[in-house]
Amino acid sequence: MRKIALVARREYAEHVRTKGFWIGVLAFPLILALSVVVPVLLSGTKQARTYAVIDHSGFVLQEVEKGILAEDLGIVLRDAAERYRDGGQAWERLPDAVRAAAKGYVSLDEAERSALIQDLAAGEDEVAAGLVEWWQQVSAEELEYLGLELSRSRYARVEVGDDPPAALNRMVKDGSLFAYFVISPDPVASDEGCKYISLNLTDQDLRRWFADQAFQVVRARRIEQAGLDAETSDWLQTPVHFAERKVDKRGDEAEVSTVDRVQQWAVVPFVYLLWMAIFINAQTLMTNTVEEKSSRLIEVLLSALSPFELMAGKIAGTAAVGLTLVFTWVACVVVGVLIAPVALGGDVASIVGIASTPLYLWSFVFYFLAGFLLYACLLVGAGSLCNSLKDAQSLMLPLLVPLIVPLLTMIPITQDPNGTLARVMSYIPLFTPFVMMNRAAGSLPLWEYLATTVLLLLSIYFAVRGAGKVFRIGILMTGKPPRLGEVMRWLTAKEDISPAEREADQVS
Amino acid sequence: MAFSTAVQLEDVWKRFGAVEAVRGVSLRVPAGCIYGLLGPNGAGKTTLIRMIMSIFFADSGRIGLLDGQQALAVKDQLGYLPEEKGLYKKMKVAEVMIYFARLKGVAADVAQQRAAELLQRYGLGDYQDRRCEVLSKGMEQKVQLLSALIHEPELVILDEPFSGLDPVNRDLMRDVILQMRRDGKTVIFSTHLMEQAEQLCDFVALINKGQKVVDGALGQVLASGGRAAVLDYDGDGHLLRDLPGVTRVNDSGKRAELFLAEDADSQALLAALVPKVQIRGFALRTASLHEIFIRAIGEADDA
Repeated sequence: MRKIALVARREYAEHVRTKGFWIGVLAFPLILALSVVVPVLLSGTKQARTYAVIDHSGFVLQEVEKGILAEDLGIVLRDAAERYRDGGQAWERLPDAVRAAAKGYVSLDEAERSALIQDLAAGEDEVAAGLVEWWQQVSAEELEYLGLELSRSRYARVEVGDDPPAALNRMVKDGSLFAYFVISPDPVASDEGCKYISLNLTDQDLRRWFADQAFQVVRARRIEQAGLDAETSDWLQTPVHFAERKVDKRGDEAEVSTVDRVQQWAVVPFVYLLWMAIFINAQTLMTNTVEEKSSRLIEVLLSALSPFELMAGKIAGTAAVGLTLVFTWVACVVVGVLIAPVALGGDVASIVGIASTPLYLWSFVFYFLAGFLLYACLLVGAGSLCNSLKDAQSLMLPLLVPLIVPLLTMIPITQDPNGTLARVMSYIPLFTPFVMMNRAAGSLPLWEYLATTVLLLLSIYFAVRGAGKVFRIGILMTGKPPRLGEVMRWLTAKEDISPAEREADQVS
Repeated sequence: MAFSTAVQLEDVWKRFGAVEAVRGVSLRVPAGCIYGLLGPNGAGKTTLIRMIMSIFFADSGRIGLLDGQQALAVKDQLGYLPEEKGLYKKMKVAEVMIYFARLKGVAADVAQQRAAELLQRYGLGDYQDRRCEVLSKGMEQKVQLLSALIHEPELVILDEPFSGLDPVNRDLMRDVILQMRRDGKTVIFSTHLMEQAEQLCDFVALINKGQKVVDGALGQVLASGGRAAVLDYDGDGHLLRDLPGVTRVNDSGKRAELFLAEDADSQALLAALVPKVQIRGFALRTASLHEIFIRAIGEADDA
C-alpha cells in the first residue's frame, strides 16, 4: 500500500504541474461563465431584422400594422401595470405617457382591459392617444431600456420604393434588406401568390411571425364573410388545452414548474462533463504509461515494486487528478449558484440552482470515479502493450468507440429517462456511468441504482484483475504489440496468475 | 549485517512460450564479492538477473537471497541497474533520486539528505533542482547509477553496466563497484566482455544458451584453462603454426595467445619464435577467460 501511495503521489504531482491540467481546471468555469454571459450580451446587441412588404391586397399590411401596434402596446401596458403594483424606482423611471396609460389601465376590470388593448391601435380614447403618440417618437434605446420582448425591436419594416420587386431583390442581395413579403390581391380567397423572399433560409423567425400576423387579419375577414358573430368565432377558435401536471414523490398530483422542465435537461451538461473528465483522464493515463515504458523506466521501477502496485498507483494518482478537476468544477457550480443571483437576475440563477441539486453533484462524482476506473483499466492494460505513442493511438480507437455511444443516446435518454433504451443501457457496465447520470432526472427507484452499481463494481473488479494480468506481462514486452488472441490467452491463463497472487500475499 | 551467501540458485528454469531462456541453472554467490555473470548476448543473463530481482518468476527451482530469504522479502535491500534505463524527464534530478529511494523504503528526510550528498560528491550538485531533460547522456548515466545505490543495498545487480559508458563514467562505475566490495556489499554484474570480468571479478559464472558452463573463483576458473603464452609481435601470423608444445593459437594480428600443452617447455618455444617473427613482448600466464569460454562452449556443443 505504501508503495502504491508513493507512485500515486508522484503521478499526481507530475500531472498537477502540467499546463494541460490547469487549462482543464480553468476552462470549465470560463466556459460556464461565457455560456451564461455571452447570450445575455448578444441579445443586447441583436439588430432588428429589416423587411419590406409589397401588398397587392390593399388592406392586409395596414391591419397587420395595427395588430402589431396593439400587441406591443399591450405588452408595454401590462409591464407598466406590474411595475405600478410593485412601485419603487422601476415605476418612477417609466416615461410619463406610459405611466398615465398604466394608471388608467389598472383602474379597469379584466374585460375592459382586453377591450382597451384591442382599441389601443386606433388611439381613440385619450389615454391611448397619449401612449400611441409616445410610441411613435420613442427611440430604440429607450425601448431597449424597458427590456421587453417587442415585435418592434425585433423586426423593422422599411418602405417600398419605386420599381418594387427589382429594387427589393437588389437590396436583399446586397444585404441591406433581410427579406420581403408579397401579399397576393385576394389572400382571403387563397394564399396563392403570397411570397417570402430572402437569402437566409435557416432563420425562419421573421417569416413565421409575419405569417401569423397576416393570418389573424385574413381570418378575421373570413369570419366576417361567413357571417359569424364574434362570439361564435371566438368559441370556434378556442383550442383544447391540456394542463400539464406531474406526480410528486408522495404520489400526489402536483404543479409542473419551470424548475421541473429545466431539471430534466440539466443532466445534459453533466453527462458532457462526465464524458470529458473520463475521456481526458483515462487517455492521459494511457499516454503516460506508454511514455514510462518507452523511456525504459519500467524495469527500474519493477525492481522496487510489483507490476500490480505500479499499475494501481498510476490509476490512483490519475484518479486523484481527475477528482481534483471534478471537485473544482463542482465548486464552480456551487460558487456560481451563490454569485449568479447577484450578477444576473433570477432566471439564470434558478437554472444554475437546479444544476447544483445534490443528487446530480454526487452522481457526477461517483460516476466519474467508477467510470474512470473502468476505462482506466482498459487503457492502462492497452498502454502496457504499446512501445510508442503511435501504437497506442491505433489501439485506442477501438477502445474508445464505446465511449461515443452514450453521447449519441444522450438526447433520447434525456427525453425518456425510464424508457427501454435507457434501462437496457444502464446495465451495460461500459455505459452505466453515463446513462445513469443521464437518467438522474427520472427519479429512479433505489433498486435500479443498486443493481446497476453492483454490476458496475463487479466489472471494475474484473477489469482491475484483467488489467493487472495484461499489465504484468505487457509492460516488459518489447517489439511488436501482441495480437488480441495472445492477450486473451494472458487473461485466461491460470499459470500466469499464480506468481502475481503469491506476490500480492507476500507484499501485503 | 553480515551475510555469507548473497544469492543461491538451485536448478532454476524459465520458459517464454517455446523458448527455454534459462535451463536448470544452479549457482552460489558468496557475500562480499564481485561476481561476474558472463556469456554472449542472448545467453539468458538478463532473464536470470530479472528472476533474482523478482521481476520474473522462475517456472521451477529455488532462488534464495541474502542467506536464503525470499526475493520479495528482501526487495528493498537490493539495488538494480538494468541495461535499459531511463529517468523521468520532467522531474527534477534530486526528486527522481528521492522517489527511487522512497520506493525502496528509505525515509523521506534520509532520502533527501542522501540525494543531496551523492549529487554533491559526484559533481552534480548544481543539477539538483534542474529537470532531468537538461542532463547530458553522461550525467544521466551517473544519476541512474546513483539512484540504484541511494538506498545503500546489500546486494547490487548491474546488467551490462559498462556498455555505452564514456571513459570517465567507466572509471566511475569501476570505482563504485570496488567501493561496494570494500563496504562488505555484494556486486553481481553481467557482461559479454571477458577482459572486464577478468580485471574486476572475484567469482565468475559462464552462461551459454540458458545453461551454466563453468563457475567458481576467478583464479580457479582461469587455472582450469591451463597455461598460455601471450606474444606481442610483428610479422607473418602464419609462421606461428606448428610451434613446439603449442596446442592452439589465438592470433589477433599484433598479439597472439599460444596455448601450451601440459608438458610444454616455454624456453624452447621462445627459442623457436625468435627466428620467425619480431618479438615485442612475451609473457607466461594462464589462459584467458575468453579462451576458457570458447573451449567450454565447444565442449558443450560437442557433447
